[in-house]
Amino acid sequence: MTPLEWGIVALALVGAFFAGVASIGIVRLPDVYTRAHAASKSDTLGAVLGIAAAALAIQTDLATIKAVFLLTFMFLTNPTAAHAIARAAQDQGIEPWTAGDEEGKS
Amino acid sequence: MPVADSVTVRNTVAYAIEQAESAAREGQQQVSLHLVAVASTRAVDPDAQTELGQAKDLLDRIEVWLDEDLGADPPSNLDIELGVIGADRYLFSPGDYADAILAYADEHSIERVVLDPEFNPGGTTPMLRPLEVELVRGDIEVETAPVERPARSTALARAATLPKYLAIFGASYLFYLLLSSYKPLDFLTGAITATIVTALLAPIAFSRQPSLTRIPRQVARFAMYVPYLLKEIAIANLEIAYVVLHPSLPIDPKMVELEAAIWGDGAVTTLANSITLTPGTLTVSVSERAFDIHSLTGSAREDLFDGGLERAVRFVFYGREAAAIPSPRERGQGDDDGTVEGDISDPEVADDD
Repeated sequence: MTPLEWGIVALALVGAFFAGVASIGIVRLPDVYTRAHAASKSDTLGAVLGIAAAALAIQTDLATIKAVFLLTFMFLTNPTAAHAIARAAQDQGIEPWTAGDEEGKS
Repeated sequence: MPVADSVTVRNTVAYAIEQAESAAREGQQQVSLHLVAVASTRAVDPDAQTELGQAKDLLDRIEVWLDEDLGADPPSNLDIELGVIGADRYLFSPGDYADAILAYADEHSIERVVLDPEFNPGGTTPMLRPLEVELVRGDIEVETAPVERPARSTALARAATLPKYLAIFGASYLFYLLLSSYKPLDFLTGAITATIVTALLAPIAFSRQPSLTRIPRQVARFAMYVPYLLKEIAIANLEIAYVVLHPSLPIDPKMVELEAAIWGDGAVTTLANSITLTPGTLTVSVSERAFDIHSLTGSAREDLFDGGLERAVRFVFYGREAAAIPSPRERGQGDDDGTVEGDISDPEVADDD
């Protein structure tokens, strides 16, 4: 394998790892706010690394430019969505879970 | 009357003078009119020199207007003072401006504040109404001068100008060509598409006049910001991965409130998004400059109040000097126990501004 291919594989693997972390986080974390953390950030990084791997793998100018735009928009829109969810939760009066609460209560 | 450059400042000054003059002619007692420019940065800052310069220019112009309006025979019991206030501290919010104005009014026993309906020293953010609300706190009469305003566009749509057209046309044409296959036909269709986009978006796309000096500088500084943000994202993601995968799930979530020292829609949005992107912190709601932030771990809170992101965003939008403003912790926020979670968990309270 060429160094480029190693790079692509590494990006894809790390991306998959963070996507996995996001999924595990959504299951394990206790409330809507903490889950929004996992869903918004680890997920963004996972997806972004995946797209970066794809951009390197495709290697035609046009598709790479498009992939870079995709990256940019992911970075712009994902936090906005997470913010919207958390804000909706706050408007509903959902109390954030704190370490003082019962363990296991979700 | 606080003065700042605006389309109606001339008429408002005229109105204030007319009011003061008629009051002086009616009664015997001394009437004084104070016209003050409000400086928002401290006089020791590099930026302040420009700002003070502009304020002095404005005051010079006002002096000319005074001569015009009062004519040859001003009443003897009317005295008019010009000055600059607020140069000894930072003013960010309407509340800060109100404090400065009220303190000055108190000092000079002023009974009435006349506001310019277009008074807007904060830049892009509408200022007048919150300022009026804040001023009412003081024991003082507040009045917005009833002067003619030029037809005023709504907050969203603003008059489109040539620089705006050019900026949007250029950006959309470039975008189109980047994604095209560079055939001659693409240049034609791109031009047509960019024209349509420009016609549709020019009135709403900018909140300020695009400037050839400011925008490239902001873009350049933003380009320096991106690697920093990516680094923060990478580091913080590793921390979150550790926390999430750790068998005992060592999280300590808490709501905290951050009063950010930034101003303007673009800067606030960028900071809010950056906070959300940096794992461990999630912007829940923003009103003016107060951010409600949900933080996942204690170390994420530490980073937040160390103010690295806030400083970087200030650097992007206002330049190097603004980056030197103290971090939130140095401004006395973010005590280690997580500050004010008590009143944040109640959305009624948190949303009340």
